[in-house]
Amino acid sequence: MPSGALLFQSVILGLLLGGLYALLAAGLTLYFGIMRVVMIAHSAFLILAAYLAWWSHTELGIDPLLSMVVTVPLFFGCGVLLQRLLLARLRAVTLTMMSVLLTFAIAVVIEGLLGYVFSGTQRRIQLGYGAASLELLGARIAVVKLIAFGLAGVALASLYLVMKKTTFGWALRATIQHRDAAKLVGIDTDRVAGYGFGLGLATAAVGGTALSLDTTIYPSLHWHWIGPLMAIIVVGGLGSVPGAAAAAMVLGLAQSLLQIELGTTWAQTVFYIALFLTLAVRPQGFFGGRLAQRF
Amino acid sequence: MLNRTTRTRWATAVGATLALALGACGGDEPEQASTDEPIVVGISLPLTGDFSEPGKGVQRGYEAWAKITNDKGGLLGRTIELKVLDDQSNADRVVADYEQLIGSDQVDIVVGPFSTRLVVPAARVAEEYGMLFVEPAGAAAEVFQQGFKNLFYAAPAVANDHYNHLAEHLLALPPGQRPTTAAYAAMDDPFAQGTAYGLKAKLEAGGVKTVVDEVYPPNTTDFSSIAAKIATSKADMVVGGSQYQDGVNLIVALQQLNYQPKLAAFSTAPTSPEFAAAIGNKTAGILSPTGYTQDAPYESNKEFVEKYTAQFGSPPEEDEANAYTTGQVVAAAITAAGCAEQGECQKKLVDWVRANKVDTVVGPLSWDETGKPQGAHMIQQWVGGEIKIVLPADAKEADLVYPKPAW
Repeated sequence: MPSGALLFQSVILGLLLGGLYALLAAGLTLYFGIMRVVMIAHSAFLILAAYLAWWSHTELGIDPLLSMVVTVPLFFGCGVLLQRLLLARLRAVTLTMMSVLLTFAIAVVIEGLLGYVFSGTQRRIQLGYGAASLELLGARIAVVKLIAFGLAGVALASLYLVMKKTTFGWALRATIQHRDAAKLVGIDTDRVAGYGFGLGLATAAVGGTALSLDTTIYPSLHWHWIGPLMAIIVVGGLGSVPGAAAAAMVLGLAQSLLQIELGTTWAQTVFYIALFLTLAVRPQGFFGGRLAQRF
Repeated sequence: MLNRTTRTRWATAVGATLALALGACGGDEPEQASTDEPIVVGISLPLTGDFSEPGKGVQRGYEAWAKITNDKGGLLGRTIELKVLDDQSNADRVVADYEQLIGSDQVDIVVGPFSTRLVVPAARVAEEYGMLFVEPAGAAAEVFQQGFKNLFYAAPAVANDHYNHLAEHLLALPPGQRPTTAAYAAMDDPFAQGTAYGLKAKLEAGGVKTVVDEVYPPNTTDFSSIAAKIATSKADMVVGGSQYQDGVNLIVALQQLNYQPKLAAFSTAPTSPEFAAAIGNKTAGILSPTGYTQDAPYESNKEFVEKYTAQFGSPPEEDEANAYTTGQVVAAAITAAGCAEQGECQKKLVDWVRANKVDTVVGPLSWDETGKPQGAHMIQQWVGGEIKIVLPADAKEADLVYPKPAW
């Protein structure tokens, strides 16, 4: 039986990890909600943002957090263009399947370019506060992890506010709920879908920066992330942002706690076991996710 | 185009006839310099992917060996030419690479890639073709359990023996000072795991209790959970069976949790020149086994360090030295056997290496029948921002600091 101190430390680490998962999964589920697009390249953009943060720190000497001033608008723009120029051209009937192929290709291109430009060498940002930590009731919280969690929290809260409080957010949610009806009430669903896609990709920019603070990055790292993220959005209910966030916290916590008993290798399987169970018992997902029932 | 092809064909035909003729009247003398063609040495290396960092180091070591040897007139009057393929740290790829090098590229000699995971499949291919296979990096026990007849590991000791000097030293301490509990974390990789588990077996036999024993997959980037287990166990000492980046990540994660052991030992990572910067210079007292140091007093090592530094601008590290050592062993065998090509010659090379001792940059090497070298590693420690040899006693540059200062 693990000690109380270890359990408490693991819960904290799990919550910090879950926060990052939540932000990344939110973007991924948004794409599906808006357009029924399965965006395999989401985590590749995540690693791209992490590389840009690393690069700006190493080459330009600025704090990685500042790189977001450039990467967030840049990724938003990329997302809009990606949706308008590529994904919007796929035929509606085969959209979901074809989007897997298309975004798979984009992921491979990004990975290849990263390898070409930065080489396959593993990189890690060396921050002055990299090993600093705070104490909380006997447990330790690394400052960098706290910053990453804070970033995720702020980004998710902003996403929530945009979705709930702005006209654009209403239009976006209307588009997610019923595209034809949204058109009938005068929403330009194509434009909204483009911006929504940009919003999703912007979360990858924030997530990548958060990721770069406390982990090693290498070009093929995105394959490591896409599996768990896909599992999270299915468990959470495809297209549901709150569902994805909730599932991310639960699974992040579960992974962290299972590592105590099972070790690192087996703890990763929690995502796939959750995925199987969800598909077997409740294919529409456990949180929200009315939308997925139609597929 | 046609012309050149025809000419090449003629040249080949003439060459073959000459070679046959020479072969026929060769008699007792070894048939030296039957051709001016270079000796092509085939290598597959992990230049990208998980092992790209050490893989490139190994490549530089081979390049230095080729250049230094060629500057001195080559071997048997022939120059050495390296043919390097990138296996992307992938075990399937490495098999295809050696098949290509031996089968279709018809290289004269093959030498090993980096890391046990890649050495074992590569050695199997070399074995199939009856090629001599000297390798710079396959140090785990399983390499020598495969029944390979042509494999030789060109370094002082195998993974499980790396920490032998440290184990002896710790178990010789008076009972009150000896560590009583130990935590181990090792990459799921035969070499990295072998180093940690070699020490674990010896300490357990000596009564040091294992309180954490973690194995993580090679691509792990988040070490916080493993670090949490180690930190809350409050083990007296921590041992990391690491390569490079995982060692750095684990140390940072342990420091984030403010874990202060009496002894911290990690394989490979602490001997890398980027190590101190990578963990923000919090290196105090970290131990590492090393098979090579630039200060080693062996004759060829002085030449190696000097010429390597001139070629690459910085002195060689362990990976470079092991590759260079591999080259030295192969060169000694080629010179003694008087041949370097596929076929019969390979058997002569293997027999020679098996029966002889070779002087190298890591000292004189000899092997048992499985290809395992007979020796142990030195132990280095970070003291005051520098890494120094602390064990064994007769080679030490400084005293071992135990318990270690806080990091």
